[in-house]
Amino acid sequence: MTITRRDVLLGATATAALVPLAARAQTSEVVIGVIYPFSGGSAQQGVDAQKAYETALEVINKDTDFDLPLAKGEGLPGLGGAKVRLVFADHQADPQKGRAEAERLITQEKVSAIIGTYQSAVAVTVSQICERYQVPFVSADNSSPSLHRRGLKYYFRAAPHDEMYSAAMFDFFDAMKKKGTKIETLSLFHEDTIFGTDSGNAQAKIAGERGYKIVTDIKYRANSPSLSAEVQQLKSANADVLMPSSYTTDGILLVKTMAELGYKPNAIVAQDAGFSEKALYDAVGDKLQGVISRGTFSLDLAQKRPMVGKINDMFKTRSGKDFNDLTSRQFMGLIILADAISRAKSTDGEKIRDALAATDIPGDQTIMPWKRVKFDEMGQNNDADPVLLQYVGGKFVTIFPPQAAIAEAIWPMK
Amino acid sequence: MWGTTLTAQAIIQSLASGLLMGLLYGLIAVGLALIFGLMDVTNFAHGEFLMIAMYLSFFLFAFFAIDPLLSAPLVAAGLFIFGAVIYLLIVRFAMRAKANAGMVQIFTTFGLAIVMRGLAQFFFTPDYRSIPQSWLGGKTISIAGIFLPEPQLVGALVSIAAFAGLYFFIHRTDFGRAIEATREDPGAVALVGIDKNRVFAFGWGLGAALVGLAGAIMASFFYIYPDVGASFALIAYVTVALGGFGSVFGAFAGGIIVGLVEATTALVLPPSLKSVGIYAVYLLVVFIRPRGLFGSI
Amino acid sequence: MMDKDFAARRRRDLIIAAVLAAIAALTPLFVKDVVVQNILILTLMYAGLSQSWNILSGYCGQISLGHALYFGLGAYTTELLFTKFGVLPWFGMLAGGVVSALIAMGLGYPFFRLRGHYFVIATIVIAEIGLLLFHNWEWAGAAMGITIPIRGDSWLKFQFLRTKLPYFYFALALCCLAWFVTWWLENSKWGFWWRAVKDNPDAAESLGVDVFNSKMGAAAVSAFLVAVGGSFYAQFVSYIDPESVMGFQFSLLMALPAVLGGIGTLWGPVLGAAILIPLTELTRFKFGGSGRGVDLIVYGTLIVLISLALPRGLLSLFSRPKKTGAAR
Repeated sequence: MTITRRDVLLGATATAALVPLAARAQTSEVVIGVIYPFSGGSAQQGVDAQKAYETALEVINKDTDFDLPLAKGEGLPGLGGAKVRLVFADHQADPQKGRAEAERLITQEKVSAIIGTYQSAVAVTVSQICERYQVPFVSADNSSPSLHRRGLKYYFRAAPHDEMYSAAMFDFFDAMKKKGTKIETLSLFHEDTIFGTDSGNAQAKIAGERGYKIVTDIKYRANSPSLSAEVQQLKSANADVLMPSSYTTDGILLVKTMAELGYKPNAIVAQDAGFSEKALYDAVGDKLQGVISRGTFSLDLAQKRPMVGKINDMFKTRSGKDFNDLTSRQFMGLIILADAISRAKSTDGEKIRDALAATDIPGDQTIMPWKRVKFDEMGQNNDADPVLLQYVGGKFVTIFPPQAAIAEAIWPMK
Repeated sequence: MWGTTLTAQAIIQSLASGLLMGLLYGLIAVGLALIFGLMDVTNFAHGEFLMIAMYLSFFLFAFFAIDPLLSAPLVAAGLFIFGAVIYLLIVRFAMRAKANAGMVQIFTTFGLAIVMRGLAQFFFTPDYRSIPQSWLGGKTISIAGIFLPEPQLVGALVSIAAFAGLYFFIHRTDFGRAIEATREDPGAVALVGIDKNRVFAFGWGLGAALVGLAGAIMASFFYIYPDVGASFALIAYVTVALGGFGSVFGAFAGGIIVGLVEATTALVLPPSLKSVGIYAVYLLVVFIRPRGLFGSI
Repeated sequence: MMDKDFAARRRRDLIIAAVLAAIAALTPLFVKDVVVQNILILTLMYAGLSQSWNILSGYCGQISLGHALYFGLGAYTTELLFTKFGVLPWFGMLAGGVVSALIAMGLGYPFFRLRGHYFVIATIVIAEIGLLLFHNWEWAGAAMGITIPIRGDSWLKFQFLRTKLPYFYFALALCCLAWFVTWWLENSKWGFWWRAVKDNPDAAESLGVDVFNSKMGAAAVSAFLVAVGGSFYAQFVSYIDPESVMGFQFSLLMALPAVLGGIGTLWGPVLGAAILIPLTELTRFKFGGSGRGVDLIVYGTLIVLISLALPRGLLSLFSRPKKTGAAR
């Protein structure tokens, strides 16, 4: 390319236009920071997330024929085919470390955006740092409702939060009651970190509003060596529905202890987390026939949208696992973020933020059963409809809402 | 919230569960008590020994389909070797520290705990494992509406047997007497031809083997991952201290007390506070008896 | 003769400390990178915390693995006062220090009857109780913790958006304060008592030394300084929850620098923190993203090796030849 005098003149007069041009010329790659727990008690979630993001990266950077944003063609079209590169950082479930890592990724690795974080407590500090540096933060898999209500401009969450999830559960109960099923009493069983507390609060609130009676509300210590006393109380209360909000470890112990103490609830409707993990079903799947869990993802969708199955296969070759509620949200989160960067045609934080805010992806261009992806002024996507899944015969089938359901709920569970 | 659940049956069930769990806590803790009693060293990697035992049991099941109950002696043997090797390779040198001996031991074993967790994550991945089907897993005995899960029941029996065996071993065998003598006066035993290091290595092996037994039993009903030891480590230290350092019987009694206190606290306080009951009882006991219930040191 | 040496050493220590503090104060002129600044802040903070821990556990010989309690109390007192009552963090910091010192003395009454491992476990257990209580205390935010509202740079509210310099200088001041308190106490009546207590508690008692009160004094000073550190940390991170300010890891992180550097010495905690904290941060940067636990392996191995090879801490590498020289 030769530079003519006219180009130089034009360039000199339009300095403002030159900046993005220069930026575009440099950006043969776009760097995105990924912050997860890669050591400590929840390292497994971090490692699984890494595989999900690498799968999304393959879809973005390579030429695939899925009906997803950025799937066709290589790299980001808006930035001349620039490739996306991921930098992984370990926050060890510590808000301070998450903060420090976010700052390091922004200032040293020069990331254009950050995605994370599994633990909600870490999302609090990471999103604060992102706000200060005006770098967008995509909260891929944090479900605490308080996160998007802090007035942050650079915070985005495409997936539902716990109040949306809990509302879906109660919509389901209402529908079942209309059909004549007796659902009056509930037992809440939640762990004592942010996830369980938030979930328990949301459920208690909605139950009160809709006239369901909570007969026990047990908050237990996460990773307890024994849950006998807790299960004993659940058994005595014997509510119509048991609603656990537990991570994998406690979920396994809960189900085993229930079997040992002879407690068979009528129905279990779980707040995801452990109840969407393969490890839990490997361990105690036989005792969980008919368990219902909320989710944002369902492999059933592959029947309607074949690409869901194909992308799931890509993930499976990397991780040996099917997509679950977390990994699917992580995959989708990166696609949505990269799409916004491409549309922003820039790696500048504010431009990406504006592009994210303008996101409008129809549901059938995702791998999720969502209506669409569009953020409200707080950065929350309210069109991410949760689904309820029932574990039947070794796999999950969608039972609610009706438009996504492929089967009727089996009630009582068995 | 909990008022409605306080029926007689619920109380008996809670106490029964607490007792079974307590005997298991005792079995987990006794290795720690033994090592401490022998040589005044607290092993801060004790929880990680338990983790290794659980993984060993898991892999014996996964690769050779050996039931955790059958593999328990194998796991105990494996942990015996592991414990002895750890002593000979690392702890032996910590014992030689001429200054700050206590701190050196605490932080050597603590560093070891971190390394063991890291290695477990490196080699076994951080995935949560568990043994889905075993002879005992998920089975339960019901007597008059009180449920006694078989894994914990067998664990309790193994615990009682192990304590009885240990008592016999220390008081009735030559090697046990050698251990006692070494503990009382390591300098003097050298004169009668007992190799202190061999006795200590044996002590570490035995302590590890006992936690190996506990790990094998637990593998049939608990989940397994690199950080699993952390949930049990503090309980084990409190159990030993409550019973009194240096007393093997103290660990037995301490375990039972911890199990029962944990179960009853959960009846009267929100379950998320049930450990507070254990800790409060520990503080209460040592304020009254600064050397624990049966401690001599 | 000994006294003269001692006085000379103390003068020398003070001069070295002043020079080091001056050099430290100038580093931000050359170090502009916020990541490095962040590491420096944490290093100074942990040096100060460990120095404070060292007063009770090193000089007085009462090994505490429960100082996270005071750290958390400092953080929570400051932020509860700030978010619920609008009390400025500077006052909250003092209030947190006083609350912690009072609680430390209250606990001292029963705790100082305990010896050895019984004492260590009691300190772990009391911090765990505190953690659990805060975890279940709805008014204090329970598990949700407290988010500190940030409205912009303000010295009054001690909060800054991007610049790290105020935090850096505060951490430096805390570190210097803790060092100076230690330096001053070393030569005070208390200092002599503590050495006596540590060397032989029973003999010290029979010599008429008021062992108990000197331990209480050590506990109060130590807890006060650690609580100030906790409130600084809360302002610095601008979010606290029970686990992230009262977890067991803080108790360890206060003890480790002193132990690795040289427990019960004036320079041990600073030296230990200067090596340990950058090391943990760098191993995490380098290996943390792998998800394979390599950072844990590196970190743990170093602790084992240093503990085994240098039981008196890293400081013994420097001071051994001088010590033998002085003895001659």
